[in-house]
Amino acid sequence: MQHVDPAFIKGLTIGLGAIGPAVGVGMIGSAVVGAVGRNPEIQGRILSTAFIMIGLVDAVFAFVLLILFTT
Amino acid sequence: MLSMFAFSDAQPLAPQRLFNLGPIPFTNSMLFGLVAAVIVIGLFGLAAKASQLWPKSRLAFNVETFIDLVFGLMLESFGNRQKALKHFPLLFTLFVFILINNLSGLLPGVDTITVTVAGVSVSLFRSWTTDLNATLAMAIISLSTVHFYAIKDIGAKGYVHHFFSGNLKNPMTYFIGVNELFGELLRLVTLSLRLFGVIYGGEALLSAIAVLAGNFGWAATLPIMFLEIFVSLVQAYLFMMLTASYIVMSTSHGESETHGVVTPSGAQA
Repeated sequence: MQHVDPAFIKGLTIGLGAIGPAVGVGMIGSAVVGAVGRNPEIQGRILSTAFIMIGLVDAVFAFVLLILFTT
Repeated sequence: MLSMFAFSDAQPLAPQRLFNLGPIPFTNSMLFGLVAAVIVIGLFGLAAKASQLWPKSRLAFNVETFIDLVFGLMLESFGNRQKALKHFPLLFTLFVFILINNLSGLLPGVDTITVTVAGVSVSLFRSWTTDLNATLAMAIISLSTVHFYAIKDIGAKGYVHHFFSGNLKNPMTYFIGVNELFGELLRLVTLSLRLFGVIYGGEALLSAIAVLAGNFGWAATLPIMFLEIFVSLVQAYLFMMLTASYIVMSTSHGESETHGVVTPSGAQA
């Protein structure tokens, strides 16, 4: 593999890099739904915590996007 | 096909200089940060001047509702109302300023109005949070506040004990302490890079979608705009809540875990 197409590397970056955050946000969503199902009273607090976690995971995806668009 | 990624519409990573103020270059993101600051200070100053017990002006009423909303969100992580009120001005300022600067990247005119500086065409406005200097400055301010209040509330000895907790004769304690210190530095990096990466990546994504869609750019960028609004809100909220969590974690060291039953806030102050 002496000469690699840069577009191929970029495609691979975004393809592999989107798996992690997608699975992460899905797990957070499933935990939120399960927790609200058990205890619907504190739905507001659960949702706030969920948004914080989604923000943390979203940032990893943003790093991938950042590398993709600046190299 | 490679030209698809070599789009020329997106902003470069570093903000570009417009003119020099003495020895310091004045960049386009600094200019727009100033504009946003003037807008925020003007809005909240007007609302503060018009606020009464039963406010007559609609602006004051809406601003007070908004402040109450954000305070309610923040109160949960503090638990103690007095502590929350002490730190509330900084946290609310962070939230509002970061929110307005994140959203300002979507306004018409930002990134599109260009001037020529030294023969190169440079965009006049650029969202302030797409500048790594800006997010680094905010992260430094937040973490300095965290450490300052940690030292003020627990004392210097308690602060060092927070890192090097455990038996002082055991070499593992020092190893864990160094790791904790490195974790604190890493908080600076991740706090600044997260906000910068999300907002700048969103702008670059918007430009790339616009180039890829060609004639249908106006329709293809619409869902991405909604994503950008959502992400701006979440990242501003996240920055504020993370700072609040760091303050709570570093100043509540030494209180028992069962607070809410009896709050020994008098003993702390």
